[in-house]
Amino acid sequence: MARAKVLLVDDEIEFAATLSERLNIRGYDTSAVYSADAVLDKVRSDMPDVVILDLKMPGTSGLDILKAIKQFNPSIEVILLTGHGSEQCTAECESGGAFDYIMKPVEIDNLTVKIDMALEKKKK
Amino acid sequence: MIDRLRRKGTSWSAIPALTGPAEGPLPKDRYKGLRTRIFLLIGTLAGIPLVVITVISYVWLQGALKEDFNNQLKGNVESTRQSIEFFIEERISALRFLASANSYSQLSDDKYLNDIFIKFKREFGELVDLGLIDSKGVQLTYSGPYDLRGKIYSNQDWFNAVAVRGVYVSDVFMGYRKIPHFAIAVKKELPEKGTFCILRATIDMATLNRYISTVNLKGRDDAFIINRDGILQTQSRFHGNVLEKVKLEVPHPNDTVTLGEIRQAGGAPLILGFTTIKNSPWIIGVTVTSTAQSKLLDLLTSDIAAIYLALVLIVMGIIANMRITATVVNWIREAEQEREEAIVQTHHTGRLASIGRLAAGVAHEINNPLAIINEKAGLMKDLMLMSNEPPDKEKFLGLIKAIADSVNRCRTITHRLLGFARRMDVQHEEIDLNDTIREVIEFLDKETLYRNIKLETHLREDLPRIVSDKGQLQQVFLNIINNAIDAVSDGGMIVVSTEVKDQDRVRVSIADNGQGIPRDTIKNIFEPFYTTKGKGKGTGLGLSISYGIIQRLGGDILVESDVDEGSTFYVELPIRAAGQ
Repeated sequence: MARAKVLLVDDEIEFAATLSERLNIRGYDTSAVYSADAVLDKVRSDMPDVVILDLKMPGTSGLDILKAIKQFNPSIEVILLTGHGSEQCTAECESGGAFDYIMKPVEIDNLTVKIDMALEKKKK
Repeated sequence: MIDRLRRKGTSWSAIPALTGPAEGPLPKDRYKGLRTRIFLLIGTLAGIPLVVITVISYVWLQGALKEDFNNQLKGNVESTRQSIEFFIEERISALRFLASANSYSQLSDDKYLNDIFIKFKREFGELVDLGLIDSKGVQLTYSGPYDLRGKIYSNQDWFNAVAVRGVYVSDVFMGYRKIPHFAIAVKKELPEKGTFCILRATIDMATLNRYISTVNLKGRDDAFIINRDGILQTQSRFHGNVLEKVKLEVPHPNDTVTLGEIRQAGGAPLILGFTTIKNSPWIIGVTVTSTAQSKLLDLLTSDIAAIYLALVLIVMGIIANMRITATVVNWIREAEQEREEAIVQTHHTGRLASIGRLAAGVAHEINNPLAIINEKAGLMKDLMLMSNEPPDKEKFLGLIKAIADSVNRCRTITHRLLGFARRMDVQHEEIDLNDTIREVIEFLDKETLYRNIKLETHLREDLPRIVSDKGQLQQVFLNIINNAIDAVSDGGMIVVSTEVKDQDRVRVSIADNGQGIPRDTIKNIFEPFYTTKGKGKGTGLGLSISYGIIQRLGGDILVESDVDEGSTFYVELPIRAAGQ
């Protein structure tokens, strides 16, 4: 069975690279990009099942990237990474079509549960 | 961009009223002075209409009293004149009757004339004597206390006057009798003899005095009779004795009562009422020293109850004024205290808002290194759990280094935050304004980075160090730069510059190319709780607090703005703190 493809997007290279490695350990085919500009190219080339996307990145808004991904392929589920959870964040997720959001620092088990739920949704 | 704003913009000075509460407690003397001013103001406002009404009433009452007074005086003179005229008329009629009812021969008889005199005197007690004078002026018969038989009057004025006019009332004179008296004479024609005779009665001057005394006189008032030459015919209390020239200038009289005012040297003015007495050579004169004004004063002072009432009303008015003043001053004091407390609360709220915004930024900054630490530690745990072999030493050292680096990132952030927080209390120190600005900008780096906002600094390296409050200034610059960040679009530009304005001042300019501030709202931007940001995005306190801080530090904030082109805030600060 093919491993689920996960794309991690965050400008904090150390964070993204390490989290990517940990997800790989947990059986996900995870890759990471560290700038907003490279996201769409990577999505087009890798066609990930789930994108974990930082909401705040230099020069652009995570919501704009979310919309672009969904516009490209609505079946790709996106989990947003945010520094703080709030009603506003929930509303932004829903309006942008994100599957869910998760707060930094990430609880890895919590993240994998959300990824699996996203994959389940995608299969349906 | 700054040049553009200077050229096109319009400057507005800050709102002085906002500086009040920040200047410390209100001095008690101010309320004392305020109380005095309000007391005087209320007193004046209440007193002016009262004084005006009093003056109008006084003038009106004085006019009415004057008219009443004049009428009363005229009435007095008129009634006395009528009495004297009636007296003279009656005596003339009586003499005429005697002259016509008795024959010449009867009147020429001493005994007969004496009988008539006795009867006549019974009726008219003031009669001194009675005599008959022939046409040659010789006293034919005489009845009275003097021996005047044979006296010749042909060369006297009165004799000729009665011969011509038929009746005559003389001036008061001494004559043969050596007492002041006057005579009334009537002519009796004797057609059968082709001649005439004169019946003459002499009357005591005291009679005139009696009539004069009926005039209602007070104090230094006087009444008298003078002849046409101004010779007193009666005794005057103050203006001369009988048969002396009266010591007054009496104008030419007429048949009606005339009033005139006579100014006396060093004394109160006299009111003189005078008129002629018909069928006589006399003028009746009345002088009064009491005037309408003195009468009004008498009237007012005579009513003790009214004076007491007026005094009570004045005292009550003063007490009411004091109570009202105290109440108003208390209201003002309470309102100012409330305002002061509100401003203090506003400053506190504003500081919390600044700290809140700062904390949000800091939390976000710290989250990232914490996330790295979390992932590195998690990976180490994963690797440990995955294998029973000793961990890859190099990899673990790399992970531990990453953790240590992230911890250092957190430390830098927290130290910067602590440094900022420590300077929240007011303290003057010598500071480098450029460094102060740089520290503020470091807090905002991430936000400008995420929004792709270009934040440039043009800080003059030769800027003199200033004595000011670093913490307060950082709060001000944080507020203004935060506003600029909110005002510009993503990808916008903010330029922070420092320069020497003159030998006493330096100037910090914070210019943005954001949406600008409309002209009709720019006047409100320093008012507390005024905000153009959306609900929940701004407290409206930042600029008002910043304004208060800069005013306290002896500086000024000015703003220039063009809609859709941007705004520039100028913060001017003294190089030396106020009082140094």
